[in-house]
Amino acid sequence: MNHQPFEEWLLNEEPITPEQKRELDVHLRSCAYCSALVETGDILHLAKMASPAPGFTARFQVRLAEHKIADRRRKLWGAGWFILGGLSLLLWFAGPSILTFVSSPENWIVTFVEWGIFLITTLQALTQAVEVFLHVIPGFLPPFLWMIIVSGFAGISLLWSVSIWRFIRMPRGV
Amino acid sequence: MIDEKTWVIQAQQGNDEAFTQIVETYQKPVYNLCYRMLGEPGAAEDAAQETFLRVYQNLHRYDVSRAFGTWILSIAAHYCIDLLRKKKFVMFSMDTENDDGMKFELPDASAPDPEAESVKRELHGRLHLLLKDLDETDRAAVIMRYWHDFSEKEIAQSLNLTVSAVKSRLHRSRRALAGMWKEKEMPRVSHERRAYESPAF
Repeated sequence: MNHQPFEEWLLNEEPITPEQKRELDVHLRSCAYCSALVETGDILHLAKMASPAPGFTARFQVRLAEHKIADRRRKLWGAGWFILGGLSLLLWFAGPSILTFVSSPENWIVTFVEWGIFLITTLQALTQAVEVFLHVIPGFLPPFLWMIIVSGFAGISLLWSVSIWRFIRMPRGV
Repeated sequence: MIDEKTWVIQAQQGNDEAFTQIVETYQKPVYNLCYRMLGEPGAAEDAAQETFLRVYQNLHRYDVSRAFGTWILSIAAHYCIDLLRKKKFVMFSMDTENDDGMKFELPDASAPDPEAESVKRELHGRLHLLLKDLDETDRAAVIMRYWHDFSEKEIAQSLNLTVSAVKSRLHRSRRALAGMWKEKEMPRVSHERRAYESPAF
């Protein structure tokens, strides 16, 4: 009988018949590899569980408490920055208009129309600027520079996507 | 007596005392898995603590139809695998440490056969040393199979593999361990129980 079935019996770890056991014993006397398979298998089957040092739960409770404090602090800072940023933006954009709220309705309408016109003209100017830029710039820049710019943008996009993915993903195994 | 499922549900509802019970119950299996994966008591302690922290943070995602032990060890295994891949651990100073992560002590003279006990410890230490040469996922599969008595199905579920992939990884690992064992000409172990023997013997 060749080596293969003996190896399979040992790896599958299923009960074998007395006849098979006799054949296996004979094979083990001449096959160092299968003997090593049996020895390592025996040791694995007798493997003991390792225990943590005493006080593991108490140490975990300390760690959990620290984590909770750090988490709360992080959330507090995050909320603070968010509110501060929001308020700053609001004041920046709406500041000039706030005074009009205390004035007459005619002033409100005038301010509203002025804002509308400002937004539309700004958008138009920006569109024209981009059009001119896109029309003129290809002639100035050599192709290899374009490749570098496009690769740079692709790299930044990838980095951005990976950062978001790492931020929102669940730990593996959960 | 309150059972595990009740603790889990209570912990999901924010009961920290119930979660402490979970830590008490699973600290040994989780630590053992981390220790066998990382090979160093300090790193294992840290990984086990981090595992419980992740369990705490993701308890609301736990599906009660799944065995809790499998879920928790799955988190520990994935954490250790990620750690090993990231750091490519410089590890395994195991030849001077025993299964409790302590330095080797002299064999217990009151034990039935102190010499056999000492040889057995040495063999366990050496086999543990060989584990480091296995691929991280293979190592996790071997540890779950032999230290935690997981079935192939449970290992597959824990490591996000198919049952046939688990079987093939276990066979490959056993072959690799036997090959390394033979190469290093380890001393023979006295056969207390052979895996291939049927209960009839």
